[in-house]
Amino acid sequence: MTGPTRDDRGITRPRLGDPVALSTSNAAMTEHVSAVPFRSQPFARYWLAVAPFGALTAVLLGSILYLFYAGVGIWGIDWPVVWGFALINYVWWIAIASGGTFISALFYLTRSEWRNAINRIAETMTLFGAVCAGIYPILHLGRPWFFYWLFPYPNTMDLYPQFRSPLLWDFFAILTYVISSVLFWYFGLLPDLATMRDRATKRGWQIFYGALALGFRGSSTQWRHYHVTYGVLAAIMAPLVCSVHSIVGLDFAGAATPGWHSTQFPPFFIFGAFLSGFATVLLLVIALRRLLRLQDWMTGRHFDALCKLLLTSSLFVGYAYTMDGFSIFYGGEKAEIVNYTDRLFGYYAPIYWGAVLFNVIVPQLLWIRTIRVNQVLVTLISLGVIVGMWFERYTIVVGSLHRPHLPSAWGLYHGSLWDWLTLMGTVGLFVFGILLAIRIVPAMSMFEMRDTLEQQR
Amino acid sequence: MRIVVGAFADKAAMQTALARLREAGFNAIETYTPSPPGEGHSPLPLVILVAGLVGAALGFWWQTHETGQAYPLDIGGRAHFSWPAYVPIAFEIGVLFAITAGVVGFFLINRMPQLWAPVDEAPALRRATSDRWCIAIHTEAPDQARHALWRFAALQVDEVPA
Repeated sequence: MTGPTRDDRGITRPRLGDPVALSTSNAAMTEHVSAVPFRSQPFARYWLAVAPFGALTAVLLGSILYLFYAGVGIWGIDWPVVWGFALINYVWWIAIASGGTFISALFYLTRSEWRNAINRIAETMTLFGAVCAGIYPILHLGRPWFFYWLFPYPNTMDLYPQFRSPLLWDFFAILTYVISSVLFWYFGLLPDLATMRDRATKRGWQIFYGALALGFRGSSTQWRHYHVTYGVLAAIMAPLVCSVHSIVGLDFAGAATPGWHSTQFPPFFIFGAFLSGFATVLLLVIALRRLLRLQDWMTGRHFDALCKLLLTSSLFVGYAYTMDGFSIFYGGEKAEIVNYTDRLFGYYAPIYWGAVLFNVIVPQLLWIRTIRVNQVLVTLISLGVIVGMWFERYTIVVGSLHRPHLPSAWGLYHGSLWDWLTLMGTVGLFVFGILLAIRIVPAMSMFEMRDTLEQQR
Repeated sequence: MRIVVGAFADKAAMQTALARLREAGFNAIETYTPSPPGEGHSPLPLVILVAGLVGAALGFWWQTHETGQAYPLDIGGRAHFSWPAYVPIAFEIGVLFAITAGVVGFFLINRMPQLWAPVDEAPALRRATSDRWCIAIHTEAPDQARHALWRFAALQVDEVPA
């Protein structure tokens, strides 16, 4: 067997048939991964990557401040389309976040050996995806300073939330999901934080990581409880993420709006979550393995596995699109048929067909093995999926609301400048957050990689 | 009482040494390793299960109480006790309890946070979270323990006060 081919800068390209790690030395892996947060390896490209996303985060802050000053009238929403970009982006982001948990928890349970190199990236993606998602419902409230009215608490106003409404279920689902994701992420970090504490040479870093590691030192007792607990937490996170995205689907399905009132929405939304999650993880893996030079541990094997999953979830989404049309015509309700026909041929048809193109048709290229390790094509396909998923959310939210039951209430919707700035702003926050996080915590789960590397040897 | 820490190059070397140390009569032994040394039992899954069930039951009861007694709302004539609608929130609260119990329980059972322990003073332990597999022996006879560790192929042996 020949060794990995490296170009003149010592970088390897992903190839078919790659093992899960090209270098099996634990010491080298630990040294390389822990060196990134200690800034012992200078790399100017990092700051070039951070700057534009930091600027976009500033744009987000600006748009939020102006929104709080002027109110939701600065957005494009009006009757009949009262849910605009805020809800589109909310669903889009929470789907991206869900994909990360899915990779990290479900493929831990299946003992997939490729999962260990990318689960930290996937979990970090989940955190910032959930943050971006969580912003929108509050911005959309109109009077965001009353956001705590969502929570059922004893009050003197005779105000109380409606426990039979999926919107309240969603509040609890997102609350649980955000708290659980943070805890799962932090719990998974503990051994690596201990590694960082013990490798730190400067006093400040020793105190910082020492405080975060909380005294984890890898004793056999700690490992015994840790190993068992981590497995159980993963087994809980996997159904949790399905429940969260099902409830997001029920937010729509619970309403009597044509185009939403469908029993297939919960699984349909989960399929979409997998698709956009896998695409985002692929984009992050492609970017970060170059930026942090992790090519030896994120190989063609990872590209192959993730692309196959992207392809599978794309087929699932295609099935859901088909069943959407089938059940509407089989059901035969006039308003649903008018709404659906308008989706296919009406004003917003290009957006619907864009979603079909990017989510179902283009990913079929991944049937070809060599495309699965072609970084340029995989990047383009994944970007297409992310845009396509946004189109799908646009079709669901705007396409359905603009053709309600009463023709006298029909209307059109366009996002305003502030809608677009807020959307771009959360993209900035998402990437900015991840880039900052990987300068503080190891970008790869070192303790889990040790097992993978040992099995490779 | 002293703590003698020996560092080994890999898991196999440490496990061999561990077996032979036990044969030689050393009992108060703890290992410090960069990845889990093996499978084992823990009461935490039971704690997580109980917390999850209690959370779900509490969540269900809470919604029943709020919609039935505390704030009964007439929404289109629907029954006050409309239990299928309570399932999602009960599930979410159950999960929240279970995961919180798992993480908090892990810290409690290990008496964490414990930012310093006597064994931390051993220089060998600095690499126990990276690439050394360490054995720590609590003993009144440190010389015997040192000799035993050297004999069983330790790369480094340190002695610190307990």
